[in-house]
Amino acid sequence: MTEPILRLENVRKTFPGVIANDQVYLDIRVGEIHALLGENGAGKSTLMNCLYGVYRPDGGKIFWKGKEVDIYQARDAIALGIGMVHQHFKLVPPLTVTENVVLGLPSKREPFLDVKTLDKEIGEIAKRYGFDIDPTAQIWQLPVGVQQRVEILKALYRKAELLILDEPTAVLTPQEVEELFSVLKNLTKMGLSIIFITHKLEEVMAVCDRVTVLRLGKVIDTVNTSDTSTRELAKMMVGREVFMTVNKPELVPGEVVLKLNAVSALDNRGLKAVNDISLEVRRNEILGIAGVDGNGQTELAEVVTGLRPATGGKVEILGKEATNRSPLEIMEMGVAYIPPDRQHTGLLMDFSITENLIGKSYYEEPISKKGVFQKDAVNTFTEKAIKDYDVRTPGPELKAKSLSGGNQQKVVLARELSSNPDLLVAAQPVRGLDVGATEYVHDRMVEARSKGAAILLISTELEEILSLSDRIAVMFEGKIMGILPGKNADIHEIGAMMAGVHQTESGTVVREAEKPL
Amino acid sequence: MNKESKIKEIWTAYLDKSFSITVPLAAILLAFLVSGIIMLIWGANPLEAYEALFAGAFGSPNAFATTLERTTPLIFTGLAVTLGYRCGFFNVGAEGQLYMGAIAAIWVGIMLPNLTGWILIPLAALASAFMGVLWISIPAFLKAKRGINEVLTTLLMNYIAIQYFEWEIRVDHFKEGVLDYYGNVPEWGFLNYFIGLKDPTQPYPKTPLLTDNTFMPSLKRLMELPFVENLFGNMVWYQEFVKVPAIGRMTLTPVLGLITAGLLFFLLFRTVTGYKARAVGINPAAAKFMGINVPNTLLTTALISGALGGLAGGMEVLGTQHRVIPNFLVSAGFDGIPVALIGGLHPFGALLSAVFFGALRAGSNRMQVVTTIPVAVVYIIQALAILFAIAGTTIDFQAILKKNRLKRAAAKKAALEAAHAGEGEASRV
Repeated sequence: MTEPILRLENVRKTFPGVIANDQVYLDIRVGEIHALLGENGAGKSTLMNCLYGVYRPDGGKIFWKGKEVDIYQARDAIALGIGMVHQHFKLVPPLTVTENVVLGLPSKREPFLDVKTLDKEIGEIAKRYGFDIDPTAQIWQLPVGVQQRVEILKALYRKAELLILDEPTAVLTPQEVEELFSVLKNLTKMGLSIIFITHKLEEVMAVCDRVTVLRLGKVIDTVNTSDTSTRELAKMMVGREVFMTVNKPELVPGEVVLKLNAVSALDNRGLKAVNDISLEVRRNEILGIAGVDGNGQTELAEVVTGLRPATGGKVEILGKEATNRSPLEIMEMGVAYIPPDRQHTGLLMDFSITENLIGKSYYEEPISKKGVFQKDAVNTFTEKAIKDYDVRTPGPELKAKSLSGGNQQKVVLARELSSNPDLLVAAQPVRGLDVGATEYVHDRMVEARSKGAAILLISTELEEILSLSDRIAVMFEGKIMGILPGKNADIHEIGAMMAGVHQTESGTVVREAEKPL
Repeated sequence: MNKESKIKEIWTAYLDKSFSITVPLAAILLAFLVSGIIMLIWGANPLEAYEALFAGAFGSPNAFATTLERTTPLIFTGLAVTLGYRCGFFNVGAEGQLYMGAIAAIWVGIMLPNLTGWILIPLAALASAFMGVLWISIPAFLKAKRGINEVLTTLLMNYIAIQYFEWEIRVDHFKEGVLDYYGNVPEWGFLNYFIGLKDPTQPYPKTPLLTDNTFMPSLKRLMELPFVENLFGNMVWYQEFVKVPAIGRMTLTPVLGLITAGLLFFLLFRTVTGYKARAVGINPAAAKFMGINVPNTLLTTALISGALGGLAGGMEVLGTQHRVIPNFLVSAGFDGIPVALIGGLHPFGALLSAVFFGALRAGSNRMQVVTTIPVAVVYIIQALAILFAIAGTTIDFQAILKKNRLKRAAAKKAALEAAHAGEGEASRV
């Protein structure tokens, strides 16, 4: 057997109070796509940051082509031939592809930049690897999938032999994912090795040769994808069997709770983000909104909850006019909201758990009377909420930021659901949570549905939408491309809609641009 | 073992809680230490200096009365900054609010000289609070409705206030029947209150001394109340006590400062208003998600903060000076910022740090007289205390505790392993 290009031996990295990686053994063979699979917080990113020189491992050895190496900083890693594509691209939008690729490298004609020669050179490299990229295009003009290829090109231009891709599919449509996969397979044929960081099992099975599973910072096993199954991998990943589907009782949808009629709204930049949307959500029903991040879903949720003004159309909640009411008025109409960003908008990190839990009932009796908090009532309320929602904390007086992500989300759930809302708007309710906490949140949402709540679920995770929703609406560039029944929904059809293909009355699909006038 | 761990737990919890007190205290101690070294280099004896400083602040009834006088305005401006900061409104305009509050108290005192003190004093205090509100209202509205940076606007409003104040005390204020400095009969009108407050009989810029029904009740007056006198009149300590002149300068104003701090604590931590204000201060976006009207909360809190700033000036006029002169309170408004910061942005913390600042001011003169160390050293101590306190807030105390705990656990584990290894070898032999 040939020498692996990269070998990690007993690598260990600790942070104060946390062991991020321990006893990590890993070998990457030349020309393979090697998946690094694990839940959020399993230590994948820490390990790769150790490899890329962002962190220094506390112990263990790194071998590059059989020779032991010390990587002090990213520059060392690049010099060895390691390239990394971060989940959030490190590109400068107003610069061209060429300028981005050569950024940070010395020019051959210092202090001048020989743009024409470079354009040509980079165009040739792109062609050699089968990328369809115009080197003179500015980054902001390019679709996300192409931007990602620019990142890969950046690494290739620096003569990378090993590519690390950190959750590369998180921002892509299903079609773009397929394109990426073919690019990756092509690259390995040309002798490159790839580390593919992900927590999505299907992707591992689809594109990777071998997979190493990390759990709680340790390597559980390395196996060939041909010898394993998603079920087995999931078990290794979480340490127990996971049921991929949520147990959801059959319910007949009741009265209409939320009704949107031709609603439009602008995003923070003043551009149209929500465009003429009409839909209904009924009692005992979960309407899932699928779509690639940034297609107006968050703005839609904010319009419904009164946080963003609607520029047109009508919002009705339980038959009552609710367009452009204040967030407080809408809250009092029985609407609860799980914001997409727990850290910044969901919770007040510097408030105590108690103060966060009363975040929706602070102004009402018995929590406060005539504007003064009632200590006993507050304590009773908090104790009950902590018990009912199983918040694991040494005490309610601790700050919210001392809790783990899952427990933080439980505090949000307790705050939002304890009033038994008529409508729950849940935006990315499980973002960044591990499998256990995700299951808990989903169970609670299904329970709220059984109690008669109407739920508007917004998620960029197709799997979450598919397993929870009674009906699925797909959003693309602020418009609803179509609404499908949740049961037996065709993932390819949803994928097509996410990429902007419209559903017509006859059931066939037409590309938005090709629609007859 | 169990008991020990329990004690440790309580100790840790105590340290954790008292951290907000420990940092400022350590900062103040360090400031004294470093200033002492500076004095040594300068060739003075720091111990002598600190002794004089302390004696000048607390050594006699007179010294104590001075400390109280210096402390009171700092309590109010410190509270004004504390409250604003808690809501994310950095009020650096306490100086201007203080000046305007002082003028308002003088207005009421001159306008209604014949009212009885029980009505006049609260009225004057209310007027000063109202002027403070008026003075902060422009920055408050701009911040709440338009998002304009309050640091800039409140700061600039200071200069308007100070210049207006300087003008007021330089233009003669005429009353019917009073001749001006040159013996002419002046014209009199209501507008005169707003364009001139200078005592026309004086060559220097100062306002007329207010009548004594505007004087805040003092300890002396309390002791001289008929029923108190009847109660203790024939006791020796009473007769001695009323002879001490300093008790005439110990007025109700520091007590009012104390009560205000208590009320502010209640407002911030026990009421819905305070809850909303703190939520907005921590994270306006999250506060909005909780249904809180962020602009209105900001506005309300800023206006209360302005009222406190105005009260600082009113209290100084009613309790201590009874008139105003240029620089009648040297930067007490700006000093509200370090008072609040060293006080850990807590009302009671502000109270304590105001006493620290007040004592430094009160004691510095004696220090200069006794040891020839210049008063300016006090500002060095002050500045160092602020620097150390700010540096101290960046220490992550919990992380340190955790690290120590882990280290101990690791050491224990290593010791245990070593012991096991020893046993193993022993059994093999």
